[in-house]
Amino acid sequence: MNSESFYDDSLNEIPANEKRATSLRDRKAEKRSLLETRLSMISLTAMALFLLLAALFLLVFPRSEKSQIEKRELAKFPSFSLESYFSGAFTSGVTTFYDDTVPYRDNFKNLSNEIKNVFGMKLFSASGSANVSSKGDDEDAENTESSATPVPTSTGNILEGVASRNMALPAASAADEPYQRDYTAEENGSLEWVNNLLMVNWDGHWRCMEPFGGGSGSDYVDALNELQSLVSQNVTIWSMPAPTSSAIYTPKNAIDYVADQGKCFDEIAAKLNPGIRSVNVVDVMRKHTEENIYCRTDHHWQPRGAYYAARTFAEAADVPFTDISSYTSGYNEGFVGTMYGFSQDSRLLNDPEDFVYYVPSAKYQAYYYDSSFNYQFSDDLFAEVDVANSYLMFMGGDSWVVKVDTEVKNGRKLLVVKDSFGNAEIPYYTSSFEQIYVVDVREFHRNLVNFIGTTGVTDVLFTMSAYSVVGDNASNITNLIHQDADSTIVDEHPTGNTASSTPAPDNTTSDNSASSDPDVHDDDPQA
Amino acid sequence: MVFADLFFIYFFLPICLLCYMLAKKLETKNTVLIIFSLIFYAWGEPLWILLLLFSSVFNWFIGLMIEKYRETSSAKLAVAAGISIDILLLIIFKYSAFIVENINAVSGASIPVPQITLPIGISFYTFQAISYVLDCYWETVKVQHQYKKFLLYLSLFPQLIAGPIVRYSVVEDEIDNRSITMNDLCEGALRVIVGLAKKVIVANNLWVIVDAFFGKDITGLSVLGTWYTVIAYSLYVYFDFSGYSDIAIGLGRMFGFHFDENFTHPFACKTIAEFWQRWHISLGSFFRDYLLYVPIFGKNRKYLSLFLVWFCTGVWHGAAWNFILWGLYFGFFIFFEQKLGKKRIKKWPIWWKHIYSKLVIIIGFGIFYFEDLSQLGQFFVNISGISMIANGAPFTDPMTFSSFRNNLFLIAAAIIASLPVLPKLKSYFLESRNDAVYAVGRIGSVTICIGLLIVLSIMLVDATNNVFLYWRF
Repeated sequence: MNSESFYDDSLNEIPANEKRATSLRDRKAEKRSLLETRLSMISLTAMALFLLLAALFLLVFPRSEKSQIEKRELAKFPSFSLESYFSGAFTSGVTTFYDDTVPYRDNFKNLSNEIKNVFGMKLFSASGSANVSSKGDDEDAENTESSATPVPTSTGNILEGVASRNMALPAASAADEPYQRDYTAEENGSLEWVNNLLMVNWDGHWRCMEPFGGGSGSDYVDALNELQSLVSQNVTIWSMPAPTSSAIYTPKNAIDYVADQGKCFDEIAAKLNPGIRSVNVVDVMRKHTEENIYCRTDHHWQPRGAYYAARTFAEAADVPFTDISSYTSGYNEGFVGTMYGFSQDSRLLNDPEDFVYYVPSAKYQAYYYDSSFNYQFSDDLFAEVDVANSYLMFMGGDSWVVKVDTEVKNGRKLLVVKDSFGNAEIPYYTSSFEQIYVVDVREFHRNLVNFIGTTGVTDVLFTMSAYSVVGDNASNITNLIHQDADSTIVDEHPTGNTASSTPAPDNTTSDNSASSDPDVHDDDPQA
Repeated sequence: MVFADLFFIYFFLPICLLCYMLAKKLETKNTVLIIFSLIFYAWGEPLWILLLLFSSVFNWFIGLMIEKYRETSSAKLAVAAGISIDILLLIIFKYSAFIVENINAVSGASIPVPQITLPIGISFYTFQAISYVLDCYWETVKVQHQYKKFLLYLSLFPQLIAGPIVRYSVVEDEIDNRSITMNDLCEGALRVIVGLAKKVIVANNLWVIVDAFFGKDITGLSVLGTWYTVIAYSLYVYFDFSGYSDIAIGLGRMFGFHFDENFTHPFACKTIAEFWQRWHISLGSFFRDYLLYVPIFGKNRKYLSLFLVWFCTGVWHGAAWNFILWGLYFGFFIFFEQKLGKKRIKKWPIWWKHIYSKLVIIIGFGIFYFEDLSQLGQFFVNISGISMIANGAPFTDPMTFSSFRNNLFLIAAAIIASLPVLPKLKSYFLESRNDAVYAVGRIGSVTICIGLLIVLSIMLVDATNNVFLYWRF
């Protein structure tokens, strides 16, 4: 009892000391908790304000509709139906729309790519630091100049008089030409792999390439062989795969990681029926490596690259061909192509290129049909496009079936079955074939065998990129052969020989001298 | 809907938060949360939300049955029925294709393989339901009488689709009784941003590396390249998943719930047993509490149930053999460590413990990655260096160097952030007695977080495909 009271007392008494300490601690704790709350309020206000502003920005500002970087139309707001709702398509469509059409999307994307530069040490993040790259720069300085100059100069002369309208022996001119610089034999000190793409700096300019992975091309081979068995013996089938830039510009120190396109095309050629004629242009391209034959920032070739392919085909097909010197050239300055979108590497954005095109002086008429071969309108082969969409200038892209009547009178009619690579070849054939039909392997919706019958073509040229030849696009050829086999295809708008009885209704015969074509030169102040 | 998405961050979340703040009574707040959770789920699974609703009604009902028939065999029956149906649904929706494929492969039969798409989050919410049913039976929690509250527990969107597996006991009280303080709200918001940054800035960009090297046939990939990529992948999985858990915990906090931590710097572990105490804690503890100590194999068969647990851990991660292999692989090392004894492991030098555990974990993530078993085999050939003889693969290659150089700072930052370095810095400021230091810490952290939010938002504009690993669970 006593002891208890002692404890009780002490409990009451001893705190006299502690009390002060406790109250001090309490006051401190109170002060801290007040500070804590205040700081939380400040922080929350800041975060809430940012969230609100950003949410409003995304809600109120006009939505982007196109992406120049990705070369595509952005997502549209989905239409609602019970079916689309329950499949989840509607809700995911709304999210995609919201995420895809952010105001100033391309600017944010560029900013994002700039931010990613700090993730590591990017070599030569500014363009033009050529002197750091591998050997041979000084000697090649002049060539750098010429490759950046819009109008090709020196090398055009080598070919002077070779082709023209005179017939050249098959591949004779190509064989005569020497190889230009062999990039595949040189090491490149600034080689980088970015998002599985090969980035190299040749002569102070970045070039981004898809490393070709190879493939047997068996779908392609099967489709072409089958087609040959189905069409008349008088029709010659040609296979001219278009090499991509990695076939030409891959440096020696990356060559092990890039499949050999020349070899790949040869192997495919060997598996094609003997009647199918193959043209392998990899070697031809190598003879022009120092010219502007491939885009550095886009996965396509430059029109000049397409020219050499077209010339090689014309020589093999024994048709006349006009030398590039008689074309009128123009160029789009500041072109940044798809490889920037793929690589998301801002070095490409900061090192744009010129897109140099050649307008034939030969006269022609081009007729546009939809993918089911219904006549739509007549127009030029060159469309008006933004600089960012330079490669779309050829027939406005892939969606149209195009018929071209030329002034050539040799009884040869060509059907081009192509992917986008083939587009750039078409203008060069205006001096080679009487009539040209162009269909895209992904877009065309009619039976190919019937189409060949209807159009009465003498030559069918398959010209698509290495990726299409070994990839999924090849199976589209099989679909084209089999789909809708019983249908009859009629040209609603017959022209040329086939239309001798029908007067051609609209005839704005394109006089394709460059100066008279406003579409082409909008982006081209210097042309 | 996913968290790392502009639509969620700048559209769904602000509206949800606004409605939540406007609701005065807790009852109304709960209703708001349920409505937004169901919208959240239905956004991604407009049809399979019915399955979630069924699961919630069914397991709630099982809870009631257990209570009604407490101490009778009917209660046992209810538990058995509840768990069986839950697991059956999981098997149907997640494993049926895998099972049929393997039956076909073994027996040569050709049963058509069912084409069922996995409903989002089914592995998570099914496990939550199972934990509830068992906890009710073991009387560790009170049976929830109100369906609405049980639905809130099961469908609560922060943890609905990618965990953590929140036990009912964790939120039991807070469903009825929670207050949201300024500090909770602030801490929660900061945590959400940190989680988003882990996912969008670190994980998504590490994935680019992984995809570049492991996204295609790895035959011929150099030895160093294989090591580099599998390390990047290990970091990726950590940042992806722990980022998701951070977002879940942070969002929960903003709504007044306190979920348990799911990751505590797993790469700082010294043994494999420790790794699993730090990695995906809610899953490990689920198996520990509900499976390991359940005497399925009798008293003296503890190793068998250990391997059962690890088999299940593997299977839970995906319907493929590599996941089973991955689970058993860790089971083996846990078994090995148990057999060796804690004392003997303690004597190992610290550097050896780190090398041993990191090696096991990194190679483990290789097993985790390759669902294609022939590629998995190739992975072992590559990583051991046998590929140099077998495939003539190089020791190193320019792609690896190039990628490493381009991502040097990202990888370094990821490694540092995966170790308990930043929390030390944080506690220096936030546990300081000096008010000025404390204030600097608080203002600094909110500034950094808003900066991170800006950067990650810009990156999200760029992220057209936002691969989310834990989607498939």
